Parts: sequence; C-alpha cells; structure tokens
Amino acid sequence: MTIRATSINAEIDGVPLLSNMSIEIVPGEVLALVGPNGAGKSTLLNVLSGDLNPVQGSVFYNERNISQLDVQERAHYRSVMSQALPMVFDFSVKDIVEMGWLHSGHHFYSDRFQSAIQQIVDQCNISSLINRRFNTLSGGEHKRVHFARALLQLWKHEDSLESKYLMLDEPLANLDIRHELGLLSVIREAAASGIGVLIVLHDLNLAAKFADKVALLHQGKIVCLGVPTDVLTTKFLTSVYGVPINVKSNPLTISYY
Amino acid sequence: MTVLFNKGRFNSGLISAQQSSIIAILTILLVLSVLFAGANGSFDLSLLAWFKGNSTDIQNIVMSEIRIPRVILSALVGSSLGMSGAALQGLFRNPLADPGLIGVSAGAALGAAIIIVISPAALTDSFLGPFLLPLAGISGSATVICLLYLLTKGFGYQGVTYMLLVGIAVNAITGVAIGLLTYISSDAELRTLTFWTMGSFGGVTWRLLMPAIILILCAMVYMAPAYRKLDLLQLGEIEASRLGVDVGKLKFRIIISSAAAVGASVALSGMIGFVGLVIPHLTRLLGGVNHNYLIPGSAILGAAIMVCADLASRMLIQPAELPVGLITSAIGSPFFLWLIFRIKKNDY
Repeated sequence: MTIRATSINAEIDGVPLLSNMSIEIVPGEVLALVGPNGAGKSTLLNVLSGDLNPVQGSVFYNERNISQLDVQERAHYRSVMSQALPMVFDFSVKDIVEMGWLHSGHHFYSDRFQSAIQQIVDQCNISSLINRRFNTLSGGEHKRVHFARALLQLWKHEDSLESKYLMLDEPLANLDIRHELGLLSVIREAAASGIGVLIVLHDLNLAAKFADKVALLHQGKIVCLGVPTDVLTTKFLTSVYGVPINVKSNPLTISYY
Repeated sequence: MTVLFNKGRFNSGLISAQQSSIIAILTILLVLSVLFAGANGSFDLSLLAWFKGNSTDIQNIVMSEIRIPRVILSALVGSSLGMSGAALQGLFRNPLADPGLIGVSAGAALGAAIIIVISPAALTDSFLGPFLLPLAGISGSATVICLLYLLTKGFGYQGVTYMLLVGIAVNAITGVAIGLLTYISSDAELRTLTFWTMGSFGGVTWRLLMPAIILILCAMVYMAPAYRKLDLLQLGEIEASRLGVDVGKLKFRIIISSAAAVGASVALSGMIGFVGLVIPHLTRLLGGVNHNYLIPGSAILGAAIMVCADLASRMLIQPAELPVGLITSAIGSPFFLWLIFRIKKNDY
C-alpha cells in the first residue's frame, strides 16, 4: 500500500520536465523533495497528485492505477496543499477548513465531524483564527488554514485500514519560525499516525531534520534518493546547486555561507 | 471548546441555524408580498372576498386570469434571476457577474425575438407553442454562456473586469441582431419586441406561464446538488478537483440550470436588469456566502423583491404602468456603481 510512480516522463507545453522518474511514498514516512529551482519538484508532485498526466509511465495509489480512479476517489486517497488562489467572496476560516470534509451530508459520518475538525483545529493551533474572515488573515495564516483543510481531507474512520497521503508544495513559505516548526511537528504526527507524506522543501537543514527520506532532484531527474545522511552530502549538493556547500554530520548540518 | 463554538457549530457546508431562520423570514416576506400584490392593483379587488367567493364575475376573471398569473410570473422571474445571479457569480468567481451584464439575458431575448419574427404562427397554433418561446429563450441564453465559456478559456479566472468587457461585446452583438429583427418585423411584432428591451410582467396568460413554471422548477431542482461544490470551486479549479469535485460536470450543471432559468424568464418577461447582481449581494450581507444558503436565499429574496417591484410598477402611475425593468435598473445601477467602488478598494 503506497503511492508509486514508475518511469515517469512528463512535459508541459512540449517542454520535457521529468525524465524516467520512479519514486514511492510510503505510509508513515516523510519523503522530502529538494533541489534547485526548475528541478521538477512541483511537476513531480503534480504528477503524483494526478493533476498532470505523465507522457509515459504510471502512478499507482495503493496498487490501483490512477487513471482508473475518478476525482472523488483520488480525493479520498490524498490531499494536496499548494499555492492557493485568493478568495473572492468573504468566507470564514471555519468555512475554508470545513471544505476539506469529504463526507458532507453523509449522515453516518456527521457524528464524527465535530470531533474530527476540533482535533485538527487544536493540532494546527488555529483555534484563535477560526471565527475570523479568511480574507483578513496574513499569508502565513492562510497557509496554516489550508494545511488544516488538507489534513481534514485525510480523516478516516478508525476501522479503515486504507492508507492516505498528504502532498505539500512548499508549505513553509511565509511561515515564521515558530509556525514552521509547529507545522513540521504536525506533519511528523500525521506520519506517525500512518499517513504517507510528500513535501517539497527548500530548506535543506529542515529536510535533514524532519524527513525520513530525501529525493534530490536536478534537471528533471532524481540524482539520489535515500535517508538524509546518504543524500545530503557535500558531493551531491555542491554539484547540484553549483555553489560550495559544507555538510557536517551529527547532527546533519548543511551550511553554504 | 467554548471559544471555538461561540459563533455556531461546525456544519460542513450545510446551512447554520441562523441561516435557516433568515431563509424562514425571507419566505414569510415572500408570502406577505405575494398576498399584498394580489390584493392591490389598478382594478379594485378584495382578496378575502375572492377567497370566500363573494366577488363578481369580472372580479373573478381579473383575479384568476390577470393578477394571479402576473404575481406568479414576477415571483418566478425574480427567483430565477436571483438564483442564476448567485450561481454565475460563484461559477465565474466574480462578484460582478449578472445574467444581464454578461449578456445571458440578451441572448435569451434574441432567441425569443427570432421565434416571434420568424415564425409567429408557431407560437399560437401548434400544440408545443407555449413551450416554443421559453425554449427559444433558453437556447439563446445557453448559446451566450457557451460563448463566454470559449472566450474565458473555460471560465478560468481572468480578473473581474475581463468578463464585463466580454459582456459588453455580447450585449452589443445581440443588440445588433435584435435591431435587425426590429427593422424587418411587422407592427404587431414590433410591439412585442419593444417589450423585451424594457421588461414587463403584463399580458401573461396561464397558457404561456405553465411551461415556464415547469422549466424553471426543473432548473432549480437540477442546480441543487451543485451548491456545496460551488463553495469548493472558490478555492480554484485545481483545488476543487483535488477535493473530489468533477469541475467539468459542475460547470455543465450550472450552465444548463442558469441558462434554463434565465432563458425561460426572459422569454416571458423581457430583460429585467440588475436583479441577478443585487439580490445575491444582499443575501450575502444578510447571512453569509456559502451557496447552500446563498442560492435558495437569493431565489426567495429575488422573488419577494420582484413581486414588490412589479406592484410598484402597477401602482405608481396608475392606471398606466411603469416598465418593471425601469424600476429594478433605477435601484440596481447605483448599487452596481457602489459595488465597483468597493471592489476597487479591495484591490481586485
């Protein structure tokens, strides 16, 4: 039970962006995608989320080919958080978080809704925002609300054994240090509860500290994929980023200035 | 816990208790305005006497053949425009979308005008006659919405003003076509055509009203499953599809139901401006932006306000009549200006 992509080639408007990529998101693990701008991190995320069809290769959600899943089934397997559009109408924060609830109007689940959302609001530490208008929040607060929504989308009945996945495209942009660490610890909690996490990160030190596995991408290819100590090495990083990068172990620390 | 729930419980897109009471109040307002509009007019009638059967034959005929159809039509058109305005604003993610402004009403008027000028006989004679006019209106409005779909690359978000510019162009094109039809039409047809540009509820008969009632009720029922999906669409198309919304199907549902409601309304009453713009905004101000509340609320409020506007059009300069479109535009256009001003401040 994983999300598995095999030999993916992808292009947008005829420009090849990914070539022959294979990758796997494993339940309970945090997989970080790192690499320079234009390496193909977001493209890979979009292929894995099903928003971009690969030219070659296939994506499997828990062994089912994604092309055989409709949008509703996909929504039950994975949630995605990326750069969101501004809201035109004046929704409350509560409305936005609730949009992640896939079982709206479903009587069987409605009893669980209150406790599910309460738990996520507490976990994401947004109870002080919940009654505010979404459009009055700052960029960082928007991120935290959308994150809570993405998490609510993955709620599952306690008897369900199905694996679920969380995909995050640079979730830390605009966050202050405290909320950055807060969000990462919620991501770790989610992984501990059996969710498979894919996260696009820029900060190599955070990847070193929080990810179980790291994939280093460069020019549409995976340069190296494995545990942080194997991937985040002076040799790989210097060649990929093209600037001198110094890596110290114990704890794994990357410095470049 | 207490801090979190002081503004009502979480309800996953369903309407809150406060919103249900607003809908209930609006419904009472609608009933009152229907009764009031039924009881008043240039012809002296007593609603109570009519109910008891104490009225004269002529009073009976005026009530059942003129006034009641007219009140029903105004309520029906008001709710169609309110509902479609709310749905189109949601679909286009644009607070200035309005069936009139973006050309959908004009398309419906053109469709109806074509039938009137080209085959007037079909309207009166054939068995399907009464259906022909609303169906022509619906084809016209559906054509315009499809055109908008192409021009906005699948309703992609391109800013508030782009849509209005497209609307100006569409309105101009239909204006030309209606103008041409006016030129080649006979005197009797001309009279009917003029009425489309002003909008009026006068002269409706049960024979014409019944098909419109059926079509508009079908449109309302067909739109209902889209309410919550329209909420999710506000996050953007990609986000909505990631949340399990089949965006293509959602657009289809909104297009068909809005086109049917607007097309059938305009075919019977002509173009009545600004109702589809103003009503959803008023409804939002009253109770919130989620479509589970907004669309039914707009339909009810639209009906109530239109019934009152029609009453005003009958009463203000009696025994003559003001075109009802004139009244709604007189109220709606300053509101439109205010909205533009407010949106500009919010930096859209």
